[in-house]
Amino acid sequence: MNARVVIAEDAALFRAGLVRLIEDHGHRVCAAVGDADALLAAVAEHQPDVVVADIRMPPTHTDEGLRAALEIRRRHPRTGVLVLSQYIETKYTARLLESNAAGAGYLLKERVADVAEFVDALERVAAGGTALDPEVVGQLLRASRRADGLAALTARERHVLALMAEGRSNAGIAGALVVTGGTVEKHVASIFDKLGLPQDSSDNRRVLAVLRCL
Amino acid sequence: MGLPVTTPTAGPWAVVRAAVVAPFTRRAGRGLLFCLAGLPFVAVNPVVFFVLAVDLIWLVAGGGRGNPSAADVAVAGVCLGLLLVLLVSTTAARRLGSLQRLLAARLLGVRVGAPPPVRRSPGGRAWPGPGPRDGAGWRVVAYLLAKLPVGLIELYAVFLWIGGLVNLSYPLLWGAFRNHPPGARLSPVPVFTPFGLFGEGTFHVATLPGTFAAAAAGAAMLVAAPWVIRAVTSVDAWLIRGLLGPGRLAQRVHDLELSRALAVDDSAALLRRLERNLHDGAQIRLATLALNLGMAREKLGDGGEVPDAAAARELVDAALRGAKDALGELRGLVRGIHPPVLDNGLADALASLAADSAIPVELEVGIPVRPTPAIESIAYFCTAELLANAVRHSFANEIAIRAAGTRDVLLLSVADDGTGGADPARGTGLSGLTQRVAVVDGRLTIASPPGGPTKITIELPLRA
Repeated sequence: MNARVVIAEDAALFRAGLVRLIEDHGHRVCAAVGDADALLAAVAEHQPDVVVADIRMPPTHTDEGLRAALEIRRRHPRTGVLVLSQYIETKYTARLLESNAAGAGYLLKERVADVAEFVDALERVAAGGTALDPEVVGQLLRASRRADGLAALTARERHVLALMAEGRSNAGIAGALVVTGGTVEKHVASIFDKLGLPQDSSDNRRVLAVLRCL
Repeated sequence: MGLPVTTPTAGPWAVVRAAVVAPFTRRAGRGLLFCLAGLPFVAVNPVVFFVLAVDLIWLVAGGGRGNPSAADVAVAGVCLGLLLVLLVSTTAARRLGSLQRLLAARLLGVRVGAPPPVRRSPGGRAWPGPGPRDGAGWRVVAYLLAKLPVGLIELYAVFLWIGGLVNLSYPLLWGAFRNHPPGARLSPVPVFTPFGLFGEGTFHVATLPGTFAAAAAGAAMLVAAPWVIRAVTSVDAWLIRGLLGPGRLAQRVHDLELSRALAVDDSAALLRRLERNLHDGAQIRLATLALNLGMAREKLGDGGEVPDAAAARELVDAALRGAKDALGELRGLVRGIHPPVLDNGLADALASLAADSAIPVELEVGIPVRPTPAIESIAYFCTAELLANAVRHSFANEIAIRAAGTRDVLLLSVADDGTGGADPARGTGLSGLTQRVAVVDGRLTIASPPGGPTKITIELPLRA
């Protein structure tokens, strides 16, 4: 896959690093900008497959990156949005995934250190999938309203649930856990059964179902 | 406006004119109204109630002529009741106080803030009024006591004014109503004097020339009246300020509430700035560092052959630079929070500031008693900011920093030989410092005429 990417990040060094990382993996960076307005303009111009956006950017340094991301999801539904942040903030995630988990991601900035994982997440979002930061998922699990339901899961099943919430496909989960696809399917079926969720084949709908349930 | 003031340049005629006009100026009129309005405050007075009540009780008890009427008993009861209301329910007193403040503001131009409302302890017993602990209410009662003599003098001043006017009109009245045929027997007319109304000591005039004497007396009373009014209302104003205002303690509480709000805002702003600096500084540098190391790790491969050694080396170099930058950033940030050298005392910390300055600094420190850490910190950061201001704006050749401690005050000054014109109204730097110093009851004074030199002095208590 060869994705077309637009990057918005106000710290120049980090932005340059991102550009290099993404281009090293065979994708094309159409534009790398430093604020939300420039991001919206670049997206309108290039119609990229995916946008990588910092949440906090000039001028107010609050959440303009997130607001721009929501705007992009509204105006350009085919462009995936991967938001980078230095905060574990489930509220931001909730706003980003409000109606639709397709083509959306929320990662902590430090995830870029694990280059392969980061590129995988980027490609997933570009292809219309979901990528949630494991820390965010962890917090959701800890703060879940369904603590008793979760307690019924085995340790392995909880791990699988977390990976599902991160937006991984069955194959991705199988790869991460070094098990076969069949085993993963068995775990997933058991989780859905224990939590009383409807079975669903689409990964995105599955993420949303899991998140709603939490 | 107001009573005329004789200046050395004013001729004798101007003085006479001023004296003639004085009773009829707007200020005199307002003063007169204020004095008249004092009547109810003299009447609604704890002393009056008390005297009336005691007097009537004495009557009732038969100590006097005996056989009091039912009306006498009723009046005594009402007076006692009013006295109790005034003393126990200080709400009534407070109402009177606020009415008097309103009159003073409208008629004398004396504006006094209201005392703070009574703080009721939650769940406490409900008094009809604030009760015996309400200091402001009691001060109103004290005012009413003092108002009795003052109010009587005020009423006397009103009498002077009106009596003077009446006396002045006698020759005219005589001409209008006393034009009887010669030989008619006329009863003498009483004349108001400053010493009495109609009773003993009043003199009477029976002839037309006599009315001119009365008119002259009236003119004198009229000229004197505004001055009496002025004197007595200024005494009243002094009482109002002292007894009907917020009170020294309440004022202090108000000031402390203000400075506490400033301190809270200041610390919130400080935390926000700190978060911002960390987020946009060290944190993003470390993220970049992690990014570079991650990419380098990838270039190094999983063992055996290194796929791209040159790129890996370059990325590790960038990561190293990033680590050093992050360390520098954190060092600056830490120093901004609390410079470690401050632990050794203000003298060392100021010396280190002076050594860092771009403009030569002459430093003189003599602090025999060490201030508390909070004061040292405020002193240090204020000096640092003043020094930075001087370097940035003054075009000075030399800066002098002095810190001198006495037993309970720390005096700091930053002086430069630059262009001057430092103004707290321009920019927030100096006003921010003033606020920060005010939080610990310190004071900042600025002497910076245009053209220089500038000297800014900070006075801090040794203990916060």
